[in-house]
Amino acid sequence: MTRKKRFLIGAALLVGAVTYLVYAGVRESAVYYLTIDEFLHKKDTLVDEGVRVAGRVKDGSVEKKTSTNGTELEFVLTDFKKTGGVKVFYTGILPDMFAEGRDVIVEGKYARDGVLRAQTVMTSCPSKYEAKATNPKAGGGSS
Amino acid sequence: MDIGSLALALGLVLAVYAVVMSLVGVLRRRRDLIASAEHASYAVWGLTVIAVAHLLQLLVTHDFNVEYVASYSSSTLPLNYTITALWGGQQGSLLFWLLILTSITAVVLLQNRESNRDLMPYVTAVLMVISVFFLLMLNFITPPFQRLAFTPAEGRDLNPLLQNYWMQIHPPSLYLGYVGCAVPFAFAMAALITGKLGDIWIRTTRRWTLFAWFFLTLGNLFGAEWAYLVLGWGGYWAWDPVENAAFMPWLTCTALLHSVMIQEKKNMLKVWNMVLVILTFLLTIFGTFLTRSGVISSVHSFTESGLGPFFMGFLALMSAISIGLLIWRLPMLKSENELDSLISRESAFLFNNLVLVGIAFAVFWGTVFPVISEAVRGVKITVGPPFFNKVNAPLGLMLLFLTGVGPLIAWRRAGWKSIQRNLVPPLAVGLLSGVLLILGGMRSYWALISFPTGVFVLAGIVMEYYRGVRARQAVMGENPLRALIRLIGKNRRRYGGYIIHVGVVMAFFAITGTSLFKQEKQITLSEGQSFSMGGYTLQYQGIEQQSTPHIDYLRADVAVLENGKKIDTLKPEKRFYKKPQQPTTEVAIRSTLGADLYMVLGSFDQDTKLATLQVYINPLVSFLWYGGLVMAFGTAIVIWPGGVKSRQPAYVSRRVGERVVAD
Repeated sequence: MTRKKRFLIGAALLVGAVTYLVYAGVRESAVYYLTIDEFLHKKDTLVDEGVRVAGRVKDGSVEKKTSTNGTELEFVLTDFKKTGGVKVFYTGILPDMFAEGRDVIVEGKYARDGVLRAQTVMTSCPSKYEAKATNPKAGGGSS
Repeated sequence: MDIGSLALALGLVLAVYAVVMSLVGVLRRRRDLIASAEHASYAVWGLTVIAVAHLLQLLVTHDFNVEYVASYSSSTLPLNYTITALWGGQQGSLLFWLLILTSITAVVLLQNRESNRDLMPYVTAVLMVISVFFLLMLNFITPPFQRLAFTPAEGRDLNPLLQNYWMQIHPPSLYLGYVGCAVPFAFAMAALITGKLGDIWIRTTRRWTLFAWFFLTLGNLFGAEWAYLVLGWGGYWAWDPVENAAFMPWLTCTALLHSVMIQEKKNMLKVWNMVLVILTFLLTIFGTFLTRSGVISSVHSFTESGLGPFFMGFLALMSAISIGLLIWRLPMLKSENELDSLISRESAFLFNNLVLVGIAFAVFWGTVFPVISEAVRGVKITVGPPFFNKVNAPLGLMLLFLTGVGPLIAWRRAGWKSIQRNLVPPLAVGLLSGVLLILGGMRSYWALISFPTGVFVLAGIVMEYYRGVRARQAVMGENPLRALIRLIGKNRRRYGGYIIHVGVVMAFFAITGTSLFKQEKQITLSEGQSFSMGGYTLQYQGIEQQSTPHIDYLRADVAVLENGKKIDTLKPEKRFYKKPQQPTTEVAIRSTLGADLYMVLGSFDQDTKLATLQVYINPLVSFLWYGGLVMAFGTAIVIWPGGVKSRQPAYVSRRVGERVVAD
């Protein structure tokens, strides 16, 4: 019985360790995941918070500057009705599927000056891309 | 109606028939009905083959009137990708899943024509229930042969990111792994229903579990290789939900492979093994669901496709049935033995299991966290790669340590003497390697835990091989090489397993190297400029442009110099696919055993002629691929047909010493 107990204590310790690691991990690396509408709605409460925002790259808003410092990118992340938006700064390599009018996910920090400084810009991954491609009605595929 | 649709409709009818008839047959003790159900199952396989062949024919003949063909191929797509477009999209990949499932069902039925007759009706029923589920989807929710109202002149083509060698072989291996897990599940269910809970079902499905594990391992590795070569962000694993979906069943399947040994040897852990079989199977369905429904990226797409609720329903049904059966049979699953000591092989295996399941749980939690947080708190909160790395690094290292301890520690109770003999020498070697690393200037704590632990595992394996070979030499007087081959041949499960462990250690080295010592640099250069990184000098020599009907190329020409001498030229590419107008990145890699020099052409500015390069040094990353090969090799040794048992008696009677070596 004591042996069994000893084992149970060991197992409990391990389970406890996993639980703690998960709990601490979530606390440290949790990021708000918002749609652009939600973000615009409460952006003032989100200053200096880590956020991940899903929105669309506004047509005609992309400005790219290539210098020997690298490629600096500026664009407006807009909602799907294209009414409002937030300015995004990003330095780094863009994902291949990035383009105006595309849906992207921007992860970074929103600063007091009203600019979202992105650490990463993601486009949807290939398996999610399929979902879009199976919708032949939208867009007519000409653009 | 298309031949394919017809085949799928008929397949559904026959699959339902097979489920009903095998259950009725076993309840009424009617052999003819059971036989009829089995024949129907073969017929479902045949019909699935017809459907797949038909879809392939439509793809190859470019019948763009079929929505699937128009969506995932084009007339300029090379033939090999046209064929693999079969699993490039939703409908096709589900059809392909069904093909593998029905094929495996047919093989299981053939294998057990004369054996396990009491279990087989239920096995057939369970496997065909899964087929029914996929056939329902293929008939009503994602029909692959859907036709368009008009015929487009050209298809929209396969996503360029999928036009890659590794993407041709990654889905088949992953699906083989996923579907392979259904076989032990079906037998486990049959064992629960019939109450024949001895280890017959485990012995019958051991090879299938290994088969599934083998392909899950390869599937994960091929996926990682694809991500590394195609996505161009310098890494091979991003803890994307899709990756996690493939990783979780691998973890529980690994746990299962270890814990069944305890049941075979000690008649313990019967409930736990059932739990693992069920969990692994449910995770394979969950994985398919995760990849196919896009539930994590947005709840929106979940309800839209109609696939999500259907999958959830199936998962719920299968969980309810399997867990219900398990609870019902709980009294019969009592352990026949108790754990003798905390310091024993049983206990090491148990902890290995707990850690593996713990990792699976953490990965699961991190993957579904956005969905849960949205449901509970109304805010979507995600956890990124840092979460997974933080949680899994300590757990992974614990697992690595147990990988070393498990095979060396004695069964039942390890006394100090046996620990001294078996564990202390490899531990000493591990510690020594740690000291050498510190002397060599390594200061990273994680690396100072990971590398020596890996060395400890390797030292233990070498010691085991050495002792085995020496024992054979002493008893049989064989030369070392012959002794080594015989040693493996006599106990392939054990010595093959050790080889798999070597592969695991190599993978750990790779993960340690790339996570801790990766270097990264982004630089914009004009023609002729150079910079240095990781001991190399890299000189940008200009851009080449090339155009084909399918793709436009932009290729940077970068000379790699070491000590002033040119040793290589790297040509990272940007490709612009023309059908779905989309650029892709083709990385250029100079791979050595020590580190990969990994280069991406970020952008090229036509006006200023400036090129932006993203360069990574990925230490030890090759160890992951070679480790994968070693794991595959080890698994092949374990799984190779032809039992040791059938050959053993001759030797045992002839040579008394055999036992010592083999056990």
